[in-house]
Amino acid sequence: MGLREYVVRRFLQLIVTFWAFFTLLFVLFRMMPGDPTSMFILDGMTPEQREQRIAELGLDQPLYVQYVEYIRQLLTGDFGQSFIYREPVTDIILIRFMNTIVLMGTALVFAYLIGVTFGALMGWWRNSRFERGGIIVTLMARSSPEFWVGIVLLSVFVFWLGWFPSSGMRTTGGELGGGFVARYGSLDFLRHLFLPALTGAIVYLATPTLLMRSTMLDVLNADFIEIKKAEGLPERTVLYKHAARNSILPLVTVAAIATGAAMGGSVVIETVFNWPGMGREMVRAVNNNDYPVAMAAFFLMGSVVILMNFVADLAYVYLDPRVEYE
Amino acid sequence: MTLLDITNLKTYYRAEDGWVRATDDVSLSIERGETVGLVGESGSGKTTLAKSIIRLLPDNAEIVDGSVAFDGTEITELTDSELRKQLRWSEISMIPQNAMNGFDPVYTVGQQIVQVIRYHEDGTSKAEARERARSLFDELGIEPDRVDDYPHQFSGGMAQRAMIALALALSPSLVLADEPTTALDVVIQDRILETIKKMQKELNSAMIMITHDMSVVSETCDRIAVVYGGRIIEIADAETIITNPRHPYTLGLRNAFPDINDDDQELISIPGTPPELVDPGEGCRFAPRCPFAEEACWEVTPEPESYGDGHEVECHRADEVELLQTEAGKKETWLEQEIGRPDDPTADRATAEVESDD
Ligand SMILES: Nc1ncnc2c1ncn2[C@@H]1O[C@H](COP(=O)(O)OP(=O)(O)OP(=O)(O)O)[C@@H](O)[C@H]1O
Ligand code: SF4
Ligand SMILES: [Mg+2]
Repeated sequence: MGLREYVVRRFLQLIVTFWAFFTLLFVLFRMMPGDPTSMFILDGMTPEQREQRIAELGLDQPLYVQYVEYIRQLLTGDFGQSFIYREPVTDIILIRFMNTIVLMGTALVFAYLIGVTFGALMGWWRNSRFERGGIIVTLMARSSPEFWVGIVLLSVFVFWLGWFPSSGMRTTGGELGGGFVARYGSLDFLRHLFLPALTGAIVYLATPTLLMRSTMLDVLNADFIEIKKAEGLPERTVLYKHAARNSILPLVTVAAIATGAAMGGSVVIETVFNWPGMGREMVRAVNNNDYPVAMAAFFLMGSVVILMNFVADLAYVYLDPRVEYE
Repeated sequence: MTLLDITNLKTYYRAEDGWVRATDDVSLSIERGETVGLVGESGSGKTTLAKSIIRLLPDNAEIVDGSVAFDGTEITELTDSELRKQLRWSEISMIPQNAMNGFDPVYTVGQQIVQVIRYHEDGTSKAEARERARSLFDELGIEPDRVDDYPHQFSGGMAQRAMIALALALSPSLVLADEPTTALDVVIQDRILETIKKMQKELNSAMIMITHDMSVVSETCDRIAVVYGGRIIEIADAETIITNPRHPYTLGLRNAFPDINDDDQELISIPGTPPELVDPGEGCRFAPRCPFAEEACWEVTPEPESYGDGHEVECHRADEVELLQTEAGKKETWLEQEIGRPDDPTADRATAEVESDD
């Protein structure tokens, strides 16, 4: 009962958060200082064109009408036309967003799987050569700049060994079209994905590794670990089922926030590997005053952050029975 | 029949300034079904002794010498996996001081009891193990359905009972209870002790009961070993330790718990601090705090002397039992300024040694 109530309450909270976020975006984009219409109007328009454009965008309506219309558009996924491409924003953004999810998602999954395991073992074998070496490797990964990691991987695996293609998402054409499976399901795509995802994984690796290690050190001091050892259970069981299982809790929130942040894409990785993702698109949109695209990008990123926090809260309840619902 | 036979056991910890001799030449044997109390101040080495028995020691600890024979098996020579499979929990289990922290918080108490039963008993099904957990709960006075609760849902006393259920799940021959009731309030403490005794009788398990509370051991133990500075300085049946001890430290401890020999006596504590366990040197370790110390006490380490019926004492003056008992009951005896080496040549000697070390 407590649990269901909590989920319902948390869900309502989610809706309120989304609403607040939508409104904030509206305020940011429509009520900026100066003439609110200026950013939707391009230079070199005749007065008639301007009038027509303003009417087209509904900017002559009272603010509350605009607000309602804006919410309606968001909910239907209609972000209007890009100023630059002259194409629906949704078409431009959605594909890039997917590309980013696939790239960053892969990087994060690897970073967290490897980081958690690695960190758990480092904590378990504290004061060993493995731990000391592990810390050095992790700190090196952490302090290496993204572009440097990318370029090193490129030179080794592409220019030297020739194992992977150097850039883009696919060999033929480089078009973004096609269905989801056609786009992301091919071996060719995976070969293109490998190096940029590895770069991301290396960059993300340090946080889960170091955090996991330090929580492990705390958990290993807990009385119950000693009892589990006294119970004669095999080391594996004590390590994974008890020590690591307890140490993973603080990582849930951290992983959720990292995922949210990663969905903005990485300008550096996308540039080094010529990956058509969100990061470069946003920079482009902002530089060219392509407001509809920029807004859609903000909208998607913010939504992911909010959603991931919701997921983290639910996961936490599932993983830690001590969580208070009150 | 002897269940556990510890002889000349030395368990040391590696520390920056040398070996900490936490268990230093201890011999102790325990019969089946017997309860032996280990009493002594904090830091005297009680836990180290108990954990040496199942080799549950931290990385910097080492059993340097001696033997621990359990039911004929030499524990110090077992491999880790033999130790885990043959002895831990199935033969020797433990009850920690704070039961709430003794359970993994993310699993129910029942899951944890079932896990250990099934790990050690190949043929037991999940349902059977669960049924055993429920009936243990019932016997220990906890609602059986609470096996499905998480540890944090229990009160302190309840968690301690659940921990006893866990400790007894495999009917071990020996239970190491390390201050099992110190974290609880007095009323609950008594009830838990009764429960432990009752269950232990039923299963005929032996027990080592660690505490620094004389009244706890006097109620629950058949025999009592008094630990000081890593050594057992006096051991006898409970009755003898309470009414007729010979070691000045035991006499001092007894003063600190006046209610046990209901003499309407005043609480007198032993002045001074526990001994240095790194390089303790020759001589009686209690000498710096002992009101009866003589010249010989500072020079010669006392050997255990037997006073019949398993009563053993490590003290040069244990023969003067009447004098010791009379004097030890007086408050003046334990005044700080009266104690210590009169012309204190030790101080000079200690400095001289430090200098020659450099
Ligand atoms: N891991 C360790 N490393 C170094 N020294 C230790 C370690 N654990 C215990 N000691 C030392 O060994 C001695 C005995 O400790 P032990 O825990 O066995 O005492 P105890 O009688 O159980 O005390 P308490 O009543 O406080 O539980 C103490 O001086 C303590 O400081
Ligand atoms: S040997 Fe000496 S110093 Fe030690 S307890 Fe006996 S009388 Fe005291
Ligand atoms: Mg202790």
